[in-house]
Amino acid sequence: MARRWMGTPARALAVSAVCALFTTTLFTHTPSHAQQATGEPIKIGAILAITGPGAGLGVPTRNGVLLAEKAVNAAGGVRGRPIKVIIEDDASNPDNARTKANALVHNEKVVGLIGPSQVAQIVAAGAITDPLKLPHIVPAGLSVPVERDRKCVYHVLPPQDLNARALMEYAANAMKIKRVGVLHDSGYGNVVMGALKAISSSYPGIEFVAIEKFEIGATDVTTQAAKVRASNPEAVMVIATSGTPFRAVKQVRIEVPVIAAIGSSSYEYVKAMGESADNVIIPEFLVGEDPLPDQKAFVEMYRKEYNLTPKNFEAAGWDLVQFMVAALKATPADAKPAEICEWLRRPHKGVLADYDFRDADLTGMKLTSFVYSKLIKGQYTRLPFRVSK
Amino acid sequence: MFSSLVVQAILSGVTNGVIYALIGMGIAVIYKGSGVINAAQGEFSLIGAVVAVFAMKAAGFSYPIAFIAGAVFGILLGIVVDVVLVRPMVRRKADEDAFLLLTIGIAFAISAGVLFFAGRDYFTLPSIGSDGVAIVFDATIRYHAIWVIVACAAIVAALRFFYRKTSFGLAMMAASIDADGAATTGINVAAMRTATYGMGGLLGALAGLLVAPIVPISYYMGLVLTLKGFCAAMIGGLTNPMGAIVGGIILGLVESLAIVFIASAYKDVVAFSVLLVIMILVPQGILGRRGRKGG
Repeated sequence: MARRWMGTPARALAVSAVCALFTTTLFTHTPSHAQQATGEPIKIGAILAITGPGAGLGVPTRNGVLLAEKAVNAAGGVRGRPIKVIIEDDASNPDNARTKANALVHNEKVVGLIGPSQVAQIVAAGAITDPLKLPHIVPAGLSVPVERDRKCVYHVLPPQDLNARALMEYAANAMKIKRVGVLHDSGYGNVVMGALKAISSSYPGIEFVAIEKFEIGATDVTTQAAKVRASNPEAVMVIATSGTPFRAVKQVRIEVPVIAAIGSSSYEYVKAMGESADNVIIPEFLVGEDPLPDQKAFVEMYRKEYNLTPKNFEAAGWDLVQFMVAALKATPADAKPAEICEWLRRPHKGVLADYDFRDADLTGMKLTSFVYSKLIKGQYTRLPFRVSK
Repeated sequence: MFSSLVVQAILSGVTNGVIYALIGMGIAVIYKGSGVINAAQGEFSLIGAVVAVFAMKAAGFSYPIAFIAGAVFGILLGIVVDVVLVRPMVRRKADEDAFLLLTIGIAFAISAGVLFFAGRDYFTLPSIGSDGVAIVFDATIRYHAIWVIVACAAIVAALRFFYRKTSFGLAMMAASIDADGAATTGINVAAMRTATYGMGGLLGALAGLLVAPIVPISYYMGLVLTLKGFCAAMIGGLTNPMGAIVGGIILGLVESLAIVFIASAYKDVVAFSVLLVIMILVPQGILGRRGRKGG
């Protein structure tokens, strides 16, 4: 399978995509006529939620990681050596994440770590990598204070206050509304809701007229939706990782626009929303149906490989590997982990967004990286609105 | 507006309650017949729904045939669980906690199996009747939810008839109340326990099949359903499958009315406080005492 892939035009596409998408540093290190990487592989560890409740995040991330590994090796690897991403499943469990991180770092001697997918697991794995200054990049946004102190654990998804601002920007500047109702779940939704409250003073024109919560896995949230409807909002924000609240919004006949957080943006959730998905607006980063010019090569490559349209976590998985590879290429072969970690502390251009790992939130993502999409018949349509600064 | 909110809460509470009750009935049936708390009951629902979805979408069967396939698969799963996993443990005289651990393991295995074979998609089935909603005092209830309530009532009536009026049902009950006594009268106790698991599997699958048009089902949802179903069964009385109906509807109504009268953030606090009070006042559940007498 791998041999056939490398012998097809996909290889040329991979090489050109790698060249087009990465930092200037990468250009200087990617041979113009890339040879198949040979020799002892350079091991990169990856811990992702492949099973358990976090699999909705971990599985698409894994797809992006595997595609990046293939593309990097097709483009000559790192100094002619292939990379090998050793993927471990933490089953969405922090204890597993810690155990797997220990094994990857101390037994497999990986040069860097990717993942885990979820906050508690990231904190657990970070406790292993941080003392060693091992380069560590995660597909999640900075969420808890302890992460700020771990200067080698970089993030490729926005911190929750940025997610919250992306929602508020649309309400305040695209819709110019004042009354917002919120329907959020008790996990991801609770965290983003906390951020929304914290930043609300930056948007004094907007009032939360109803904030209704439901537990993850709730079978019916129509009572909460009816309370939101009774508060006469001009728009409803839904912050959840399931289709249930969207169905409830439709069932109780809420007619105002629905703005959903990025957590609802996977196609699985869209499928779960059913007809209720129509006209839902989502601030996100990658609209596979209409990608930005510098995302097109990745989207085409992903479609060719998986026959699926990628979303945000797939692109995050790709970026994780590419940044790690860029650091490995730019540092000497015998560089210490801290040197690789230090090299990463700079701006990076990814498929998902532009980053600046020097930033205090270890992400450096800006609101300007967000694109806004609207769901129409199960497909995303990119909206013209962007945050200008 | 407030009155319509209360009506919405009642409609939503009854809908949720009936879903909890369907799961709870399966847990109670298995507990009553074998003394095992089945932590994989939600996974039986998951399997029932997923089999029906694949029977329709991959194999091209009609909805009724797919529905029957899901139900039959539930029965078979229950029987396999008993014959392959429970029976050897019974022979080795395993403790109650060992059985609980077994069913937790089964739950994780089924969930992982669904993830592996069916993926992380959400699965839905078509609504019975129409996708629309009925409007009651400006509140809404999906037509399918009304069918779920009707189906639940029919299942309760059928179960009651089965346990009280059929010789097979009476034999199952006899085997559960006094296994040795039942054996002396010629009842095959092991077969009755297998039938109990088959019945539990059927109830679980029916719950999944009825719920899937309302709630998109995914690989991880079994545990969530089990927890609520277990609460319903506990409130009603774990030894009386009919009690799960009472327990489920009480739990569903308390949850949804708490949203209206207190706050959605405290819904679970209120619901589980009520559960605690009921457990303190009626430790065997509201209908538990009748269940222990074979009622």
